[in-house]
Amino acid sequence: MRGAVACSVLLGALLACTNNPYPSEDDDRKVLYTTFSEAPRSLDPAVAYDVGAHAITGAVYDTLLEYHYLKRPYTLIPGLALDLPESRPGEADGSTVYRFELRPGVLYQEDPAFTIDGSGRRTRPVLAADVAFQLARLADPTVNSPVIEPFSHVAGFQAFGERLVERRKADPDFAARPVHEQYAELGGIPGVRVEGDHVLEVEVASDYPQILYWFAMQFTTPVPWEAIAYYDGEEGRPRFDDHPVGTGPFVLSHYDKQSRMVLDANPNWYGVQHPEWRAPGAVYPSEGEPEDVAAGRLDPSIAGSPLPFLERIVYLREQEAIPYFNKFLQGYYDAAGVIKESFDRVISQGRLSPAMAGMDISLEKGVEPTVFYLGFNLEDETIGLPAGDDGRRIRQAMSLVIDTEEYTRIFSNSRGVPAQSPLPPGIFGYDENYENPYRRVDLERAQQLMVEAGYPGGVDAETGKPLVLTFDTYDTYDTSSQGLLQFRFFTDAWRKLGIDVQVEATNYNQFQEKVRNGDYQIFMWGWVADYPDPENFLFLLWSEMARSKGGPNTANFSNPRYDELYLSMKSRANGPERLAEIREMLAILETERPWIELVHREDYSLYHGWLDHVKPFGMSFSTSKYLDLDPGVRTARRLEWNRPILWPIWAGLGLGVALIVPGIVTFMRERQ
Amino acid sequence: MLAYAIRRMGYGILVVLGVLFFLFVLFFAVTSPDDVARKALGERVPDSVVEQWKINHGYDKPLFPGPGRWTDNMLVDHYRRMLTFDFGRSDADDTPIMDRITRGAGPSLTLTVPLFLLSLFTGIPLALLVAFFRETYIDRLGVVIAVLAMSVSILLYIIGAQYLIGKLLHWFPISGFDTDPRVIARFLALPILVGVLSGIGGDIRFYRTVFLEESNTDYVRTARAKGCGEARIMSVHVFRNSLIPLLTQVVVAIPFLFTGSLLLESFFGIPGLGAMTVDAIQGNDFSVLRTMVYIGSLLFVVGQVLTDLSYGLVDPRVRFE
Amino acid sequence: MESHVVSNWVVVALGLASLAAIVLVRRSRIWSDAFVQLWRRRRLALFVAGIYVGIALLDSVAWVGGADGNADAVSVHESRSVIDRLFGGNQERSYSAPFADVEFYGAQPLAHPGSHILGTDLIGRDVFYLALKGARVALLIGGLTSLLAIPLALLFGVSAGYFGGRIDTVVFFVMSTLASMPGLLLLIALIMVMGKSTFAVCVALAVTGWVGFCRIARGETLKLRELEYVSAARALGVSELQIVMRHILPNLMHLVIITFVLMFSGLVLSEAILSWLGIGVDGSWGQMIDQARNELSRDPIVWWNISAAGIALFGLILAVNFIGDALRDVLDPRTLQGNE
Repeated sequence: MRGAVACSVLLGALLACTNNPYPSEDDDRKVLYTTFSEAPRSLDPAVAYDVGAHAITGAVYDTLLEYHYLKRPYTLIPGLALDLPESRPGEADGSTVYRFELRPGVLYQEDPAFTIDGSGRRTRPVLAADVAFQLARLADPTVNSPVIEPFSHVAGFQAFGERLVERRKADPDFAARPVHEQYAELGGIPGVRVEGDHVLEVEVASDYPQILYWFAMQFTTPVPWEAIAYYDGEEGRPRFDDHPVGTGPFVLSHYDKQSRMVLDANPNWYGVQHPEWRAPGAVYPSEGEPEDVAAGRLDPSIAGSPLPFLERIVYLREQEAIPYFNKFLQGYYDAAGVIKESFDRVISQGRLSPAMAGMDISLEKGVEPTVFYLGFNLEDETIGLPAGDDGRRIRQAMSLVIDTEEYTRIFSNSRGVPAQSPLPPGIFGYDENYENPYRRVDLERAQQLMVEAGYPGGVDAETGKPLVLTFDTYDTYDTSSQGLLQFRFFTDAWRKLGIDVQVEATNYNQFQEKVRNGDYQIFMWGWVADYPDPENFLFLLWSEMARSKGGPNTANFSNPRYDELYLSMKSRANGPERLAEIREMLAILETERPWIELVHREDYSLYHGWLDHVKPFGMSFSTSKYLDLDPGVRTARRLEWNRPILWPIWAGLGLGVALIVPGIVTFMRERQ
Repeated sequence: MLAYAIRRMGYGILVVLGVLFFLFVLFFAVTSPDDVARKALGERVPDSVVEQWKINHGYDKPLFPGPGRWTDNMLVDHYRRMLTFDFGRSDADDTPIMDRITRGAGPSLTLTVPLFLLSLFTGIPLALLVAFFRETYIDRLGVVIAVLAMSVSILLYIIGAQYLIGKLLHWFPISGFDTDPRVIARFLALPILVGVLSGIGGDIRFYRTVFLEESNTDYVRTARAKGCGEARIMSVHVFRNSLIPLLTQVVVAIPFLFTGSLLLESFFGIPGLGAMTVDAIQGNDFSVLRTMVYIGSLLFVVGQVLTDLSYGLVDPRVRFE
Repeated sequence: MESHVVSNWVVVALGLASLAAIVLVRRSRIWSDAFVQLWRRRRLALFVAGIYVGIALLDSVAWVGGADGNADAVSVHESRSVIDRLFGGNQERSYSAPFADVEFYGAQPLAHPGSHILGTDLIGRDVFYLALKGARVALLIGGLTSLLAIPLALLFGVSAGYFGGRIDTVVFFVMSTLASMPGLLLLIALIMVMGKSTFAVCVALAVTGWVGFCRIARGETLKLRELEYVSAARALGVSELQIVMRHILPNLMHLVIITFVLMFSGLVLSEAILSWLGIGVDGSWGQMIDQARNELSRDPIVWWNISAAGIALFGLILAVNFIGDALRDVLDPRTLQGNE
């Protein structure tokens, strides 16, 4: 029965040929269609750390601070806070207290988790205690937040987590109570103090001015304890991971994370409820960079308009690059990144191709605060620190044959800035004119270094055997056929030195095993900054962060001078002293070569003429509330671009008839 | 008949238990739960969290039964959970697997059922046509085209159809899915077309062989000798009597309609069980993978038992075999 | 022993085996008749299949040394096959179209202008060379898997069919268990658990593939066992082993060959799907297709990579399918009737 229905439906489809994937009723609404590729693991703002999840959490949750949409370098503006926090020295030695004052009268989205209040609404106002609650959640080990480490600068943060664990172990009754009661019973984090309904003070024990950037990320958003208690996954209720409850400009109205997520404008958002506040985070900015004027993002008519412009945002899952990009070209997605396969038809010599420009598509470029690199395991006997000067020479030689220009040309169509050091453009300490002497291509010098290292022509002078190294990778992405080509590129380059690098694409478990045993030599990795500060890059090579100690320093780089400089640089404000220290650190990396820096990724986004105010934003920050679109233009263009071409059907039918009819005729004649 | 039915069902249950044992060896004895946990949680989590995760997912017990733990071990747990359809939560993202299966079954069926029927209703008439015109160039051409069609990798069919029909000709969306009844059909058109095309070569060849075998039986020769028309012979005698071997072949495929199509669903972005399985493969999500293998086998065994029982009802000889 | 030495010995062994096969075929009238028929019907398909086999063999004979101008510092120490020596080494930097003198994007001059009859791929490898290399991988997948699966299937199928009883019960149970699991999923699960390697892929394919043939072998043995001359041999006191070797196995040979050929194309096509999932075999056509599947949306379109792999794969499968069809007609009397 179901089949019969489906068949008739199919027949209907054949008669009404169209490739429009959306119901036509939505044509004249301000609905933005966009994509995601990986299902978000969790939408809990304490946990969510991937791009896909941030697209949702960034729109559903507001933060105390935000980034200015247009200004570069990135500038913090107040969000839910009335102003940027004041700081003053704390009571303990060397500590600093930040005092946040929240906007009174901000409401959460309507949600069944809130019991109905006097006015008949299922919501309640935001309190400073909600932020303190969320910070306590970050400290709670069972929440498993990925940002425990940076927040450990908050006074008593880690001790709070430990006390929580001990108390739960010792007292099962305590462990069975709702978490907000548990936190309250332990008195919360000592360094986080709630002073009245709308004032929050955060005491940072050590010098860590970067903490403010974390208040522009969803990790520190106010979270209502009611939602945590209610969304526990029992009795048919979803879990808090899958059901966010926030104050943001949008609410999540449909969540099927394998295929489709829908955000609708939040009528409770403070920008909508109180346009008279003209809060900096709720109106379109009136100042920006010179290029914003040229791109029409500072049109006087929109400056100061209340946000958001869109009624709805539909995220559809696209795992394959081609269908995704083609649907963009057909007008069914409003914006797209440039996939490498289509780069050449989209962009020629760094500009949009005439065909694209003719479709009124625009291109926005921006260097992301990222660094991609090849790393060496410096605990390795052959190429690491134990091999002393010879190991360093091998690393230098290997660095001298990797042609980044060629790499970006082949794999990302010259998109991305070749990296000379870990620091990307836009980050304090980046020097446009700096050229790393080991990051250009010099085969002769590299071969010379190999001779000095005792491997003339890649052959060990003592044993007569060629040098064989392994390149370890694990992800399914990396072991895909397409990922393998990249590794081929590197191994081919090293073959010129006579080094035979074998790619070992193991599964994750085997890779873990190897990392645990320190049994890996070369790997490829990337880092996307949490916040725009050099500390967020240089800590990746701090010896305390070594992978052998469980940190992200997978190269296991360890250099006493570097560590010393790092600790000093970390707490300084940007200035000449800090710059001098960073320079010296980069000089150490230059010769020590724990990494072969490859590229700082560049984001190219394309968008159709009907989508307004797009500006790429490298930091993890949701910009959807600033976007606007013109549905009328969109509908017209879609129709124009997607007229079905039907003649092949008739041609095919004709051919079929022409082939079969003579056969039938002769057959009949023979029968008679 | 009752004895036969009990015997047949008992054997089916034994096979399911065998499948479960095989899955246990593959997914528990060979793979360590610690690795699965680390994979799901990331590298930097403390051991206590890993332990908690293992408890939540039921991976914290000894593998095999032994003194003092005859019931409290993973093998018994595995059987108990699978047989009671308590699949637990996904290793990769903690969603209840049962939820995902119930959500994925709909999209899968909306793709596979029409695809299956359409394949039948194009394959059988075409094969009849080819068999009717046997020994002529239509037959030879038909066979050659069928062999050509079945020699192309399905990957090429999908890539080609998306490129040609979706991108160049604008007939249907290149990919996507929406349960909205106004648009669902246009999403299904292309994957169904590809599914039919990629399968039709093998189908025609198989059905043709069946029909030809049947058309050389003695009673067909007799009918022909008596002057019965060829069209009547094909439609009445040959087709009707070929139904049993055809049905046997076709019934076997029915249980797998439920588990969806790995390639079609994931290339065309249909959020069914096939796409879910591909996700599980790419995310090393063993819990979903073993559940899907189990469900597939279970359906297959149930289908087989039902087929055999219905044969047993119709044909007494079967019962005593 | 190094891998290229193994590979060379395999080539020798294959040569000897085919010589032996030719001698045997010439001795038996039925087999030589069948072969003559096959040759008459499917000359082109046999010829095409022969070319593929030839390429694969040339790619299997390898030795170290004999540096030529194209060798880099590492390949001097590596074994390279005849195909590597003839067609390898003309590396470019990135895409170039067939017979082009300049790169496809950016129009920089090529290192080996005009020498790439099928162009080059993303990282500048010659596509014609890659397509040739794929032949060996495809035959390896088909061959190694069949080599694992067919003896296994014969062993279990024949012993189950011939001896019956408890052996039959056990074999039949294992067969039902394996057959009831969805084939592709089982395949993937096996590879994921065993780890990714050519051998693992072949073992997994063999585990999932032997059941079908085992069932056929069992059924056929059941029939053969009841034949009069087998009963006569048994009455005369001929040992069981001898009966199986002399009367059962030879009468299964035609089934072995038909199954081998029909299984072969299925195996190679399955590998393409595995490649798409990222668990295929390095250097296979499936992997080439997977690497190239996004190239169709390049503009100007890069078509030669996917076409070369697609056509190479299609050609082999088509030839094998045609041969398999004809073989079945020639060797299997049941369908022979059907075609009269």
